[in-house]
Amino acid sequence: MAPEIVAPEALGTRLDLVVMVAYFVTVVGFGVYFGRYSTTTKDFYLGGQRFAWWVIAFSGIATTIGSYSFVKYSEAGFNYGISSSQAYMNDWFWMPILMFVWLPIIYYARIQSVPEYFERRFGRSSRIVAMIITLLYLIGYVGINLLTIGTALHTLLGWNIYTGALIAGITVTLYVFAGGQTSVIMTDLVQGMTLLIVGMGVLIAGVWYLGGFPSFWSYLPEDHRFLFSEWNKPDQFSFIGIYGQDGLANTGAFVLMNQGMVMRFLALRSVKDARKMAIFWILILYPLAAITVSSGGWIARALMESGAIDPATGSAFTTTASSAFIHAADFLCTPGVFGIVLAALMAALMSTTDTLINAVSAVFVNDVYRPYVRKAAPDRHYLRVARIASLVTAAVGFALVGIFDRFGEIYRAHGAFTAAITPPIVTAIFLGILWKRFNAAGALATMVGGSALVFVSLSPPFDAWLVGPFSFGMGPDSYSFTRALFGLTASLTLGIIVTMLTRPQRADEIVGLVNGTQLEAMRRYKGGEINRVPGKAVYLAVQPDPTIEDDGEMARVPAKVMEGMAAKEGDLAYVCDARWWFGGLRSVHVKLGPPCEDDGVHLGPQAIKRAHFKPGEPVYIEKLF
Amino acid sequence: MVEMSRILPILVQFGGGALLCWVGVHAGLKSGYLDLNLAQDRRALVIVVGGYLALLVLYCAFTFWLPFMTIEVDT
Repeated sequence: MAPEIVAPEALGTRLDLVVMVAYFVTVVGFGVYFGRYSTTTKDFYLGGQRFAWWVIAFSGIATTIGSYSFVKYSEAGFNYGISSSQAYMNDWFWMPILMFVWLPIIYYARIQSVPEYFERRFGRSSRIVAMIITLLYLIGYVGINLLTIGTALHTLLGWNIYTGALIAGITVTLYVFAGGQTSVIMTDLVQGMTLLIVGMGVLIAGVWYLGGFPSFWSYLPEDHRFLFSEWNKPDQFSFIGIYGQDGLANTGAFVLMNQGMVMRFLALRSVKDARKMAIFWILILYPLAAITVSSGGWIARALMESGAIDPATGSAFTTTASSAFIHAADFLCTPGVFGIVLAALMAALMSTTDTLINAVSAVFVNDVYRPYVRKAAPDRHYLRVARIASLVTAAVGFALVGIFDRFGEIYRAHGAFTAAITPPIVTAIFLGILWKRFNAAGALATMVGGSALVFVSLSPPFDAWLVGPFSFGMGPDSYSFTRALFGLTASLTLGIIVTMLTRPQRADEIVGLVNGTQLEAMRRYKGGEINRVPGKAVYLAVQPDPTIEDDGEMARVPAKVMEGMAAKEGDLAYVCDARWWFGGLRSVHVKLGPPCEDDGVHLGPQAIKRAHFKPGEPVYIEKLF
Repeated sequence: MVEMSRILPILVQFGGGALLCWVGVHAGLKSGYLDLNLAQDRRALVIVVGGYLALLVLYCAFTFWLPFMTIEVDT
């Protein structure tokens, strides 16, 4: 049921298996080690909001490269050439909405989940609808990921599907249980780098084998050298179909409604870092990710066109589109090195699964347990529930492996469900953050009505009636792509009409949740007037100060340091270990207190403990606002 | 001569992209959150525009020029 890597027999050798097992052990060890940084629910879900932009960018790329990306995009690369990368190149156009509207809203309104945004913006009914949809989508997706892992291990190493899914599931769950988002971020940092190195390595090795880039380019058929596919052909890979599905619906979903990415953005130490991360991520890492997942297909095609001889068989290199990546890598790599390629495939699978498990746990605790089961409990209690929720999610995901594997209809139903709910929810968030007039009735109409219409459009003859007009002359084979355009249009139309026919919400109900109120959200977040005067980061030594007896969130620095930071008493600041490679892991957010006399940054015992600082250690402090 | 079916994707992708970018920038400016008096906000705007243009150049190169560039390969 999962996208299958079709190989004639298990490809990995014993040495490759050893490399794979070593990779599993390393990832678990890495994740469990960083679990010690997770002592509150804020750590478990948002990594303590302390990470530097580059850590989140690399870890985010591991999450972006999904469970079957290598198979799907290498297949497209083999069949259609470099236009296989076009799905990864749409995000830049969403950048301004992300940077200037959505990020400040979720960060400063302290929103931890997408359903929570719906409740605060539109009311409880919208939250319930969004929560049910989000949980069904995420839990189903955990099952699909585990099935894909099991299928991949079965094909590559000959393991039983359930054994592979179980081992991978336990691996991921161990470190998610131990450290939540903090462990997910640190392991995905390693997995993201592994993915990029292997993907680029396959491309470089292939180009090298073919005699350099000009030779590689010449072996590609001419119609494989365009970055865009043609406007409306072929039906299953036309530009307009992919643009509607990936450029608008899926990219909008990734930027606005992906719970895992929302949590990743919130794990950053500041909105300024979120901007840097988004720019580096989308402009640099995304194109590299596009190459990483597609390059196997391009190289396989060029190898076939060049008539390359496989020394193992003595015959010409050949492959099918669905196995292009794995066969190209197997052709180019020696045993052991191929094991690293297999580890990268596992990295793609596991880094998506860990994010999903953590996201389900966050939605469950934040949107179900806390509001409906136990409202006011100590944070320690919610942390325990969060860990249990992670275990249960993984167990349910594993149970779904068997169901998806046996009942293809349920697997396909989840795919149809995802396709149906994505455009309406993206539209609801898009209108919710950009249009003050958009109200609760409009949001419900957009989500429920839009989803219903897309579900109706899945069956003949309604597909031709509803999706046909959005198919630009293409046939029914294009509907799976062009349905997104119909879904977006229908949801947008419903949302606007219902909103215009009903009463608007009161302005004071939506402060901080809609464009035009970001500055007020910042004031509320800070608890006072904001200070946006640019200042500098200042390097100091940690000075423990037992007189600071609040909850550890205050810091005092000399007056001249405050002057350099362009900061005043009451401003929010960030204190971080001076060694950049910690990536913010050892850091703490503080509120500046009155200036002190001697040098150094004065911190209370709680702040020092939370940041894992040692007295006298060099740190830097910078004003946030 | 490049066919229209290769040019239309550029027009739609970068036309739609310009519209999305405009919505975000306009919203940021109107709210005051994107403040062009601040150097970091000016820099962010320059990067948004620069990234857009860099992608446009990349796509034009891979539509009008590079697909037709080949060298003789010894087989």
